[in-house]
Amino acid sequence: MAQTILKASYTPVIAAAPRYPARPVLPLMVALGAALLISFVASIAVGSVSIPLEDILTVLLGGEPTRAAWTQIVLNFRLPKALTAILAGAALAVGGLMMQTLFRNPLTDPFALGISSGASLGVALIVLTAGVGSTLLAGFSLTGDLGLALAASLGAAAVMVLVLFAARRIQHNYGLLILGLMFGYAFGALVSLLLYFSVAERIQAYVNWTFGSFGGVTWRQMNIFAPVVLIGLGMTLRLRKALNALLLGETYAQSMGIHVARARFGIVVSTALLAGAVTAFCGPIAFLGLAVPHLARAIFRTADHQRLLPGSAILGAIVALVADLIAQLPGAGVILPLNAVMALIGAPVVITIILRGRTTRAFER
Amino acid sequence: MRRLLYVCLVVALLTTFAISAAPSAAQTDNLQSCVENYDASVDYFPQKTDLQFAVGWEVEYHNNYKIVRVTTPWRDATESFTYVLVQCGTPAPDTAADEALKAAQVIEVPINSLISMSTTDLPGIVAIGEVEKLIGLDSFLWTNTPEIRARIDEGKLIEVGSGAQVNVEAVLNAAPSLVMTNGFGNPDFDAHPKLIEAGIKVAVNGDYMETTPLGRAEWLKFTAVFFNREAEAGAYFSKVAEEYQRLASLTERVSTRPTVLLNAPFDNVWSVPGGTSYTAQLMRDAGASYLWADDTTTGAIPLSFEAVFEKARDAEFWINPSFYDSLKAVQDADARFADFAAVKSGNVWNYVARVNANGGNDYFETGAARPDLVLADLIKILHPELLPDHELYFYRQLK
Repeated sequence: MAQTILKASYTPVIAAAPRYPARPVLPLMVALGAALLISFVASIAVGSVSIPLEDILTVLLGGEPTRAAWTQIVLNFRLPKALTAILAGAALAVGGLMMQTLFRNPLTDPFALGISSGASLGVALIVLTAGVGSTLLAGFSLTGDLGLALAASLGAAAVMVLVLFAARRIQHNYGLLILGLMFGYAFGALVSLLLYFSVAERIQAYVNWTFGSFGGVTWRQMNIFAPVVLIGLGMTLRLRKALNALLLGETYAQSMGIHVARARFGIVVSTALLAGAVTAFCGPIAFLGLAVPHLARAIFRTADHQRLLPGSAILGAIVALVADLIAQLPGAGVILPLNAVMALIGAPVVITIILRGRTTRAFER
Repeated sequence: MRRLLYVCLVVALLTTFAISAAPSAAQTDNLQSCVENYDASVDYFPQKTDLQFAVGWEVEYHNNYKIVRVTTPWRDATESFTYVLVQCGTPAPDTAADEALKAAQVIEVPINSLISMSTTDLPGIVAIGEVEKLIGLDSFLWTNTPEIRARIDEGKLIEVGSGAQVNVEAVLNAAPSLVMTNGFGNPDFDAHPKLIEAGIKVAVNGDYMETTPLGRAEWLKFTAVFFNREAEAGAYFSKVAEEYQRLASLTERVSTRPTVLLNAPFDNVWSVPGGTSYTAQLMRDAGASYLWADDTTTGAIPLSFEAVFEKARDAEFWINPSFYDSLKAVQDADARFADFAAVKSGNVWNYVARVNANGGNDYFETGAARPDLVLADLIKILHPELLPDHELYFYRQLK
């Protein structure tokens, strides 16, 4: 069995099997766009505090709502949170898609390079150590409300540089994958050590960060978060062809005239930007980056990145908005860990898709 | 005449000595040594503990042994812990025959040595005068109690690690009469399963589950029963309880009860103490109007930032904002904090006045045993006119 798959993996096929012809793109895109719009509106209208719809409209139109606090809730809490969810969802989905293609492995996600571990270490240094981390950052004059995000970015960037450096020496993509795993273990070990020597409140702060959340991004942070994600997404537009070719193996890509090393560099940099920014500002959001590309392949019935890239981005944004909506338990005030919700609603969806066998095909041929 | 007086005095003195040296009919103090001639009819624990506030444990006295039960070792616990404390030099009861005592750990008292795995035990150990018998801690990093720090500096204590990472070999090597630890009902965090398996006597302390400040402080009596120090613990605790109740009575008639917001959020989740929790009780006694006082949870409620914002935007005081130690740190963490009335007026207070270099906070150490000091601080913050001379001990206004 294993051998057949191994052999099969050299057969070049881009489009899905004729039994499931690719769906027409335009109507799908329109439908997804509408779904995105609806989830965006729902995300602003519904939250743990019940605010009547007309008050929300009043606030958005610049008027005075029934309660003064509602203005701030809509403008400073819900709006940045919804935008963050859209950007983060799109970023992780696209990052995951690229990693799955690069490594031709359906189980990889944007954190396969060890980026989230690097970010975690950065955050752990700030949150867990009473003095050391902040002194370190103060040395870089990086304190302030961006301190945490910058620490995470530095951590993610450190891993990225290491991976890129290694990428030039390692010939095979699998080597890169294993390298990312090893970085993950090493950084994870350092975080455990920090946890061991930290006090309960700080451990709680760190643990909450690992739960993931779109609500921590304020407008000031958005000024950095949004541009970085948009740059990362923009870079992927130039990688479409290379990704399609890489799906069929490096040798094949080379024969198609793709500069493999350059393409790999571009993929790693853009994924690192996307995953690094999201981890820095929202915490390590698991699952989405792994699951959404599968969803996209199932919906579009194609392995063509021309469609999958924008499709994954929109789907990722929708999934992020919906998961966040559920985590808020509208009206209850209580809030659930985002990562838990994501996995609980997402796992059954992905299992169904896998059982119907529509998505992993791209990797088997 | 004068000589006669001297003779009388000497005689009187001698008689006093003779009387006091003779074996008394009834023992008046709990013993600090082993019994040499066991007499089944003697009550070897004339000084008994009675619990007024703590609800998580109980003690039952027999002539030569005490049965201690920890009924609430952790949240939603389905198991309890039973200890049979036998006076040294007397025979242990037949625990195997008794269904209720079958699983009990039998421990000879008074114990000779103790390893403590929680800083909350330390003030109690000092209060009952048993510092010398403490031979180890989970970690030296968090300790604040000066008497214990002195022992650390003298090199008299060992570090054994905490939770599931406890160094069983080091504990076995130190051979303590007892290890005292907290349990969480989760083998990933708990030290006691490993230690009990290794044959060490382990007392599982459930102080943190008490929902009243005096209930939590009363757990020093739990430490004391293992040392036969019921009298010392009782005397110490009575003073604390009286002072606490005196302070609490000061706020009963206050005309205004300022609204209070507690804790701080991390990544959009704001865990606020439930209305029947330890902290909520402190707020009530301090004359505050705690915004979630009507809630019935004893633990914490995880709320979203926006839910807390709506309810607490206009709260007059913000108390216990986690580990933030300055207004700048608060605002740097999230710009939206600046919209709270308490931040605008500078009424943000935190228990960060006594934190050691490693982040070990004396509020959780001395504060657990001295709720009267904590309450005095809170009253000083909320109703300064009631305690004009009190100087803040644990708390500081964030600048």
